[in-house]
Amino acid sequence: MDSLIAANIGQRPLRTAISVIGVALGVILVTLFVGLARGMMHDAARRQSNVDAEVRFLPGGNVALAGNPLMLSARYADAILHGVQPTADDPDLEPKPPIYGVAATSAVGEYVQNSVAGIGFEMVDGLDYASFINTTHLTLAKGRGLGDGLAPDTEYEAIVDRYYADLGKDIDGKPVRIGSKITVLAHEFTVAGIYEPAVLARVKIPLRTMQQLLGGPENCTFVMVKCERPELADQVVEQLRRYYPGNRVILTNEIPALYSQGLAPVEIFLKVVIGLGLIISVLVILLAMYTTIIERTREIGILKSLGASKRFIVMIIEKEAALISAMGVTLGFAVALLGKLWLEANTRLIVELEPKWLLIAALIGVLGGIIGAIYPAMRAANLDPVEAISYD
Amino acid sequence: MNPVLETIDLRMVYHVGKMEVPALRGATLRVEVGEYVAIMGPSGCGKSTFLHIVGGMLKPTSGRVVIEGEDLTAMTDAQRTDLRRRKIGFVFQRFNLFPTLTAEGNLKLAERIYSGKKTQDPARRQGVLRLLGLEDKTHHKPLELSGGEQQRVAIARAVINRPAILLADEPTGNLDTENSDVVLNMMGQLNKEFRQTIIMITHNAEAAARADRVIEMRDGHVVRSRVPAGAVQGRP
Repeated sequence: MDSLIAANIGQRPLRTAISVIGVALGVILVTLFVGLARGMMHDAARRQSNVDAEVRFLPGGNVALAGNPLMLSARYADAILHGVQPTADDPDLEPKPPIYGVAATSAVGEYVQNSVAGIGFEMVDGLDYASFINTTHLTLAKGRGLGDGLAPDTEYEAIVDRYYADLGKDIDGKPVRIGSKITVLAHEFTVAGIYEPAVLARVKIPLRTMQQLLGGPENCTFVMVKCERPELADQVVEQLRRYYPGNRVILTNEIPALYSQGLAPVEIFLKVVIGLGLIISVLVILLAMYTTIIERTREIGILKSLGASKRFIVMIIEKEAALISAMGVTLGFAVALLGKLWLEANTRLIVELEPKWLLIAALIGVLGGIIGAIYPAMRAANLDPVEAISYD
Repeated sequence: MNPVLETIDLRMVYHVGKMEVPALRGATLRVEVGEYVAIMGPSGCGKSTFLHIVGGMLKPTSGRVVIEGEDLTAMTDAQRTDLRRRKIGFVFQRFNLFPTLTAEGNLKLAERIYSGKKTQDPARRQGVLRLLGLEDKTHHKPLELSGGEQQRVAIARAVINRPAILLADEPTGNLDTENSDVVLNMMGQLNKEFRQTIIMITHNAEAAARADRVIEMRDGHVVRSRVPAGAVQGRP
């Protein structure tokens, strides 16, 4: 082995392995956390937007996942479609006309529960199935749709999407089939149907059942509004804002962007993770290379006696650190890939390994290593040659 | 004739705390091209300090060191390093080979530092290895070699880039008589066949007897320059 750098790396295999693992940890941290956060965010946004209803009507405030999810009266669904007239019970009610251009509406409850798989979380929809299918192109691949939740035999039944059915397990740990029992909102539900495509949450139960379980009778999370023609969407939005001020009205195709804005804290978290990854790489290499320099003081003295310049010595140490870092990045990617495969096979989490973030993770690993080696390299380059060559 | 090395009134004072410890007190020496010089003297007389200054590893407190017309004492640290790379070869008592590299790897590293390139002169390398009897040891690491073989690899590494001066600090100090004899023969051969200038520090009178000239140092001074008994007269 004639390469000094390769020989040095091979001389202390355990220390090299620890350094490589240290760098890999930073890379895994960045790759998996960023991949997980973005994967879940994109998947949720995709499913949120994968509906036919062009407009979403929500209570005032943030769309973020927080607080009581059933904060909007479900009566808005009927009011938007048919208008509002004073009644005998409420003679002072301000009359409002039906919103022009609306073809269908459906009240939807949405709840985030801890994942049954034990890692992460998952969303559950509460539906009025009869109106919901008028606002989406949801079709049943197997079984039947949801009941209204009023009849005792329809109260605790659920439909799931194909992804859930393919990867999920029932309460007995068996694959999800029609008739399987699954846990939703800490209760046992029977799978009545499997639908596609993935729309909103992967598990859907009757809205009425969700209202009872969450203590929000007559309420929902939002109302989906399907227009007679897509080009009427802006007009519908304008009318909804005029007749129902104080609520929030958004176009469905704006939802992915809103998710990104609403999840700004996640972006901050990702930056913290990136910073931590960088710090880990810097510290691991700094420690490893500093120890190496102390151990190889005499060899550095030999290099100096041979006429090696400071630059030559710095480059040797930096190249060694870069090689260790590159090995760490490779190991980190391999472990992150295995982690992604395991998570996606055993949980309903989605990890997106985007090229941009893989590049950032690789840069963090290698740059962290190079930065971490600067001090030891400068120290080595500035050693007194006579003292170094006499070092024991 | 221009000397390959000239030191003029070389002085070196070490500072140990508030104390000043003089190591050289005006050492003056002239070495001609192709000369084989042995430096002898008791421990602490300044031999090693002298060698380190001549090799550009130390900067003297005062005085001048001129190697092939270049004044070492007027140079910056980086310039001295460059001169050492171009004109000096070191051989140490403790061999100082890279333990992780093979014999050939040690030579290649020296060539790379010298030339700054990966592409080197394999013919020259093979020639030096052959001269030093190391053709069959090229792929051995230092720990797989005897002390004598290690020192021969160190000599090969020191001369691979044709230095103006080979500086040897007790090159036989860690060797038994037989290996010492082999190493001294090799150095003599380098001096005779290639007119390699050699300055060797030694405590060993038999080793010094192989040189053209013996310099004796005492208390930081060059006190005597003599031709050893049995040496060939008339060398420069």
